[in-house]
This record gives sequence, structure tokens and C-alpha cells, in this order.
Amino acid sequence: MTTTNLKSLVAGIAVCGVLLLGGAGPVQAHHSGAMFDRNKAVDLEGVVKAFQWTNPHSWLQVEVADGKGGTKEWSIECGSPNTLARTGWRKTTFKSGDKIKVRIGPMIDGTAAGIFVGAQLATGETLGEMK
Amino acid sequence: MTVKLKHWLLLTLSVACSAAQAQSLAGAGFNPGDYTGVWRMVGGTIFDRSTAEPANAAAGQPGARERPPYNAEWEKKYLARIELVKQDRLPDPISNCGTPIGFPRIFNAPDGYEFVVTPKQTWVLTENGPNALRIYTDGRKHLPDDFIWPTYTGDSVGSWQGDTLTFTTIGLRGEDGTIVDRTGIILSDAAHATTQIRKADAGTIEIKLSIEDPKAFTRPWLVTKRFTRIPGGDEIRIMDYACAENNRNPVAADGKTLTLDTQGKVIDAGR
Repeated sequence: MTTTNLKSLVAGIAVCGVLLLGGAGPVQAHHSGAMFDRNKAVDLEGVVKAFQWTNPHSWLQVEVADGKGGTKEWSIECGSPNTLARTGWRKTTFKSGDKIKVRIGPMIDGTAAGIFVGAQLATGETLGEMK
Repeated sequence: MTVKLKHWLLLTLSVACSAAQAQSLAGAGFNPGDYTGVWRMVGGTIFDRSTAEPANAAAGQPGARERPPYNAEWEKKYLARIELVKQDRLPDPISNCGTPIGFPRIFNAPDGYEFVVTPKQTWVLTENGPNALRIYTDGRKHLPDDFIWPTYTGDSVGSWQGDTLTFTTIGLRGEDGTIVDRTGIILSDAAHATTQIRKADAGTIEIKLSIEDPKAFTRPWLVTKRFTRIPGGDEIRIMDYACAENNRNPVAADGKTLTLDTQGKVIDAGR
């Protein structure tokens, strides 16, 4: 897990179509984004446990090494299927067992969860903001 | 003249009379233009982008605000709500996946929109929610005082003048269960509005609102919203939103938004 300060997490989120925080896009989901750190990005590397293609949010569950010989499950919030599909996502974008890298805007309180910013898929393709 | 020809003449006359009647009811020259397709709001869910502080603010961003023409009493209420946003405790009725988004927030929703325009009624349908605003243009008046009661979306009637629909909205709940956006803007139960909808160009719907609130405002609040067609082929259509389908962000009794795991267990640190 690596942590990065971002000048504009908002920009990355707007690009990837996750619509909670950004000011430029058609943003806002069914809850406030105040729980997320707007100035920090966390990069995770792990294995997809599940991808919930659901309303009001899709969720990416990723098993990440915890540094103690085990793993920790992270819950990564994405947009709703209708919005994501219009920006190129599909219900099969992530599959269980895929080895991926994913960048999130972490929860401020340290919970193993965050808002999706970008990912490098199992195919090597990137989605969203992963520079 | 054959019976068949008489039948077609009568049918044609009937259709022509109905169209003329609809045009008359809808206003002088019902000429709305093309509203087909799926639309989305331009900009984020700051309701009045022209007065946003900071200018690129996002609704829900701690400290973000707009400048509705509040009097001192309601400015104080707004400032208290801005503080709640900073604590992530602003009560937002739609987070509970049950109540309508209401007026005027129905012009401030993310995701897709449909505008169903007919001479006698126009429906504004939001994918998010979903929600519906029904505007009657068949000549009827607002509901009478002894019949109407406060609702989230209110009662809207109006008429078409060429390419412009003008309608008024009354009967709103005010601060009882409705917010305008997540900076914390609210209206009183005395709020009412006059709204104009027109096609600014082939790909843009322009909506101008003049919101009056004798309890909360010192003058009418003028806000313009714009919508553009979502590009794409015939795969672009309104889909279920279904807020309660897999809501892993319920709101706790203290107003904090929680996060659940896939089994429904709260995973927020310290909870």
C-alpha cells in the first residue's frame, strides 16, 4: 500500500466516472462524500474478491496483503451501473481472482475503504486516473 | 362520397380539432422543439453555480456555499448547516432511499433525465431516485387551498408560449424534509417559484428558475440550470437506479453516514 498526496483528487475522480466528489462533472451520489480524504490517494495491490455491479453504488472488494502474513479486505466504492456503463465500464470489468492495482481516495477515519480513483486491470489496461 | 371516404374525412376533422384544442390549451403556438433522448445536468450538484464559493466547489465539500438571498435569520440557519456538512452530519433525506428529491432539487440531480413534452402535460423524469415532476399545461389551475397540502415536489401548472414553457410551483414542504443541495440550502414552507423551460439550442435545455420565499429571502433567487443530451447510440437509455438495492451507506442516528461490508456489518473505524 502506498500513499500519495494529490493536487487534485477531484480531477481523477471526474475522469474515471466515479461521481461523488468532483466539481466539474455531474457529481453526487446518494450520500455525501465528506467521509473521503480529498487530498490523498492510496494505491493498493491485491486480488479481486468480488465486484458488486449494484445501485446506488458498485463496490469493488479487494484482498490486500496486510504486512503480517495475512490479507485485509478493502471495500472500494464506485458509481452506479448506469453512470459507469456510460463511461465504458461493464459488469465484467473486474472479475473474482483478478490481480489488480487500484487507487482510491481513502476514508479519513482509516477504515479499509475508499472511493475509486483508478485501476490497472488484470489485462494491463488502465481505468480512470493511474498516472 | 363513399362511406370509407366520409369516415376518413370525419377522422381527419376530429384529429385536426383535437390538435387545435390541445394547442389552445397549451398556449399560443405550442412549438417546444425536440426533447427526445436522455439528458444530463451541466456541472455538479451545486444548485446555483454562479455564486458558488469556492467557484469550483462540490456539493458536500466542507465549507462550500452559495449566496441565496437569505435574510439574516435564514443565513444563520444556512451557516449552521454548513457546519453540519463539515462534520459529515448534514441530514439529506434522499440518503435514506425513500423520499422524493423534491422541487427545486429535481433540477439538480446526477445521472440521466428525460423530458416528456406533450401539449397538455410535461414530465421531468430523473433516473436518480427516480423522481418525477409533472407540469400541467391543459388550462387547469393550482389546487385550491382547502385541497392542497405540502409535498416534496409541490403542484405545478403553466402554459407554452411558442418554444417556452412557463409554470408556477406551489405547495412545498419547506425545510421539513427537503434540501436544495448538499451545501445545506433549504427553503421555507412559503417558497414558491416561476420556472421557464426552453431549448436554448438543439443540444441544450435551459431552465430558468425564479424562487420567491417571503420568509427566507430578501428578493427572488434567480438560478439557471442547463442540460445536454448524453451522446451515444441506442444503448443510451434510462436504467433502474434503485437506491435501496444494495445500500451500503446507511445513516446512523447521529447523522453520520456509515459504510457496511458485503455482509451488512459496519466497518467504520471506531464504530
